[in-house]
Amino acid sequence: MMTKPLTIKNLVKKFGGLTATDDISFDLNEGQSTGLIGPNGAGKTTIFSQIMGEYRQTSGKIELYGSEISKLSTPARIRLGVSRTYQVPRPFAEFTVLENVRVGLMPDSIWKMITEGPNVDREIELALSVGFSENDLRRTPDELSMGDLRKLEMARTMATNPSIMLLDEVFAGLTVGEIDQIAKLIQKMRSENMTFLIVSHDLKALEPLVDDAIAINYGKIIAQGSFASVISDKAVRTSYLGT
Amino acid sequence: MGLGLRWYHFVLWAGFIAIMALMPEFVSKGTLRTIIFANFLAIFAISWDVLSGRTGYISFGHPFLIGIGAYTTAILTKRFDVPVEYAIPTAVIMTMVGGTIMFLPALRIKGSYFALVSLAFMELIYQLVQVIRPDLTGGTRGMSGLVTLTRGAVNGYYLSVTLMIIVALCMWLLMRTRLGTALSAIGMNEESVKGSGLSPTKLKLFAFMTSAFVAGLGGAFYVHYLGSIAPRALFDINFVFTIIVATLIGGASTIVGPMFGAFFLTFLLEYLRPYLPGAERYLIYGVIALLLYMYQPKGLYHIVMTQLDRFKKRADDD
Amino acid sequence: MLEIIIQGILLSGLYALIAVGFTLIFSVGRVLNLAYGSYIMVAGYIYFYFSQLLGLPPIAGLLLAGILGSCMGLLKYNLIVKPLKGDHIAVEISTLILAVVLQSTVILFFGNSAKILLPIIPGVIHIGNATVTFNVLAATVASWLILIGLYLFIKKTHIGRAMMAVSMDAKGASISGVDIDKINMITWGISGFLGAIAGVFFASYTQLSPTMWVAPLIIAIAIVIVGGIGSIIGTLVVAHIIGFMEIISVALISPQLRGVFTMLLIILVLVIRPKGLFGREEL
Repeated sequence: MMTKPLTIKNLVKKFGGLTATDDISFDLNEGQSTGLIGPNGAGKTTIFSQIMGEYRQTSGKIELYGSEISKLSTPARIRLGVSRTYQVPRPFAEFTVLENVRVGLMPDSIWKMITEGPNVDREIELALSVGFSENDLRRTPDELSMGDLRKLEMARTMATNPSIMLLDEVFAGLTVGEIDQIAKLIQKMRSENMTFLIVSHDLKALEPLVDDAIAINYGKIIAQGSFASVISDKAVRTSYLGT
Repeated sequence: MGLGLRWYHFVLWAGFIAIMALMPEFVSKGTLRTIIFANFLAIFAISWDVLSGRTGYISFGHPFLIGIGAYTTAILTKRFDVPVEYAIPTAVIMTMVGGTIMFLPALRIKGSYFALVSLAFMELIYQLVQVIRPDLTGGTRGMSGLVTLTRGAVNGYYLSVTLMIIVALCMWLLMRTRLGTALSAIGMNEESVKGSGLSPTKLKLFAFMTSAFVAGLGGAFYVHYLGSIAPRALFDINFVFTIIVATLIGGASTIVGPMFGAFFLTFLLEYLRPYLPGAERYLIYGVIALLLYMYQPKGLYHIVMTQLDRFKKRADDD
Repeated sequence: MLEIIIQGILLSGLYALIAVGFTLIFSVGRVLNLAYGSYIMVAGYIYFYFSQLLGLPPIAGLLLAGILGSCMGLLKYNLIVKPLKGDHIAVEISTLILAVVLQSTVILFFGNSAKILLPIIPGVIHIGNATVTFNVLAATVASWLILIGLYLFIKKTHIGRAMMAVSMDAKGASISGVDIDKINMITWGISGFLGAIAGVFFASYTQLSPTMWVAPLIIAIAIVIVGGIGSIIGTLVVAHIIGFMEIISVALISPQLRGVFTMLLIILVLVIRPKGLFGREEL
């Protein structure tokens, strides 16, 4: 039996008096894709931040392929295979699309950075795969739409060669065509056994991309199971959908 | 290595080296001496640029690094009769080691703190040097009568220009690798660099040690050119200021920018000397620097490049 | 022993005043004003010019220096910081260049040599077997009064609380309707005033010279790093720690090692507790 890519046990995160994550536990199997849904402020992004090591959890365990990673830095965790996109894109403002991807492709070894040049073919390949056109490649972030910036986030996340991808609102601000392209890309990666945890308000776009779902509110899991059962769950409907 | 070198890079560098090599034929001894100072300032400016030009970790303490290199070789050659060939490499290593120990705590913190700490360290080393073992360091007055490597303006020129060109070429090539890209990324968004799987601390440390290497090398050779060392001149805020302004005017992060900035500044100061002999010169070029920096923080290099780009575009359109 | 305690208290009060003006900008405006020391130097010279050369009463000279300091602060904010849109690297460098420009300007007008300021209040008082000049005593008392006044201002007035809000979360404050630009201007004005007053006192404590702006800047920096940002009380406490450390090292060890322990303290704090002893956040 293979070790699970991601295991969260009793995760708690408190900010002063506010409990953002309230005893959350779940895990992901290899190749599984889980949707993470909930209203704004429910604590979804906070979970991502703890997995990536941007916040240190107050208590609880996070395991990547069976090893506890709480002591590891963010770059170290990325090297183990987990990577995420950010709800507010944070590209390198003075770099072109290609150069932005280049940073993601770089090995964390100074020797290699100096002796090996950039793999421009791979940079182009990644940029095109998320939906950029040839003309876009030399554009800088100030020339890109929000949708383009999200695509760039996606490309940069893929560049680090992860086996687990945490996607945070990667569809927001995209046109239907752009959503379609990213969705196809995600499906392709799923068929190659990539593990996904996807946060999205766009439930219609989310449904075909996930095997199951977890619903969160006030930092707690309020429903877990198949996508259909979760979105029809009464508690979920009240909190999230307002019905 | 992916350096992206084109034919015009080779031409420009070759042309530059040729001009510098033939310089003594064209100019007076006095001008040569000025160029020697410009060469050393260029080395210091390049050293600063390696660390601070891209990463946003502004160092106000470069005299501190230069000083370690200078004092180490001075003390070794004068007090312990160590031959220069051994003293200088030792000085460089000491600069890298000593500087790293001092700055390691500061590198882990964000850029603004680093700037503060570097300024504080420079001031405090200035105090220390005058006080700790003045028998070795020469105290407040410094040391004189040190071994000089060359005799005469022409030889001094060739030594300094060779050193400067080697340093400039190496650093320029280094910054064209992906390392340069990574360091620039740190300056843009350090958190995002972590999110790309790279550890900024390692990169900053490497940049710092490279910067220290060049600073120590420059400091050591400079001291053996001058034949003396004085803490007053070395740890002066004006010196920090000169290095930083040279880099900024030329164009930070470009390596060649600081090199030309150093020349520009040295000659500007020399030109102003008969009119404003004292520290008032700094007023003029401080104002120029401030205005230029606020107008175009990327410096003359960027201004030149933008003009060339426009030229190219117009040529393409025809 | 009494001498050390008294000198320590006196120096620390002055250091606290120097530091608060600097921390205020860092905390509220999130930028480093490296020309802060220049308020101190320029104010000293203004006071010198008006009170010693022109013969105005010391209080007038002091107030004039303070007002001019405020003006300098406002000018700096509007001409340099605002156009740079908070690019903190650019502000660091620009303020350093400005500081050197101001230094050169002062040399142009007043020459390079150091000058001794006549005491603001002449005379001495004896406490135990320690001799304390009224001058320094007045400076310390004034510093404390100003600091208490500032503390009350921040806690009790609307503007003061707005400043605190901006220092904690500028975006949030602006969404709540706070005029960030106005708050910044007020902060820079206050910082300039504090720096200037501190400058006159500092100049009378040591001496007046064009390069005198570096030392107090370093002290302010030390207090910011060791104390952390966001707490006036923290600044006060750390100012006393550093002030006493200096007095003790001068009296008991060697006058020339004055700043060394401060430097070691900085390193220690950076390694063990980077946000400072009283800091609210990682910087």
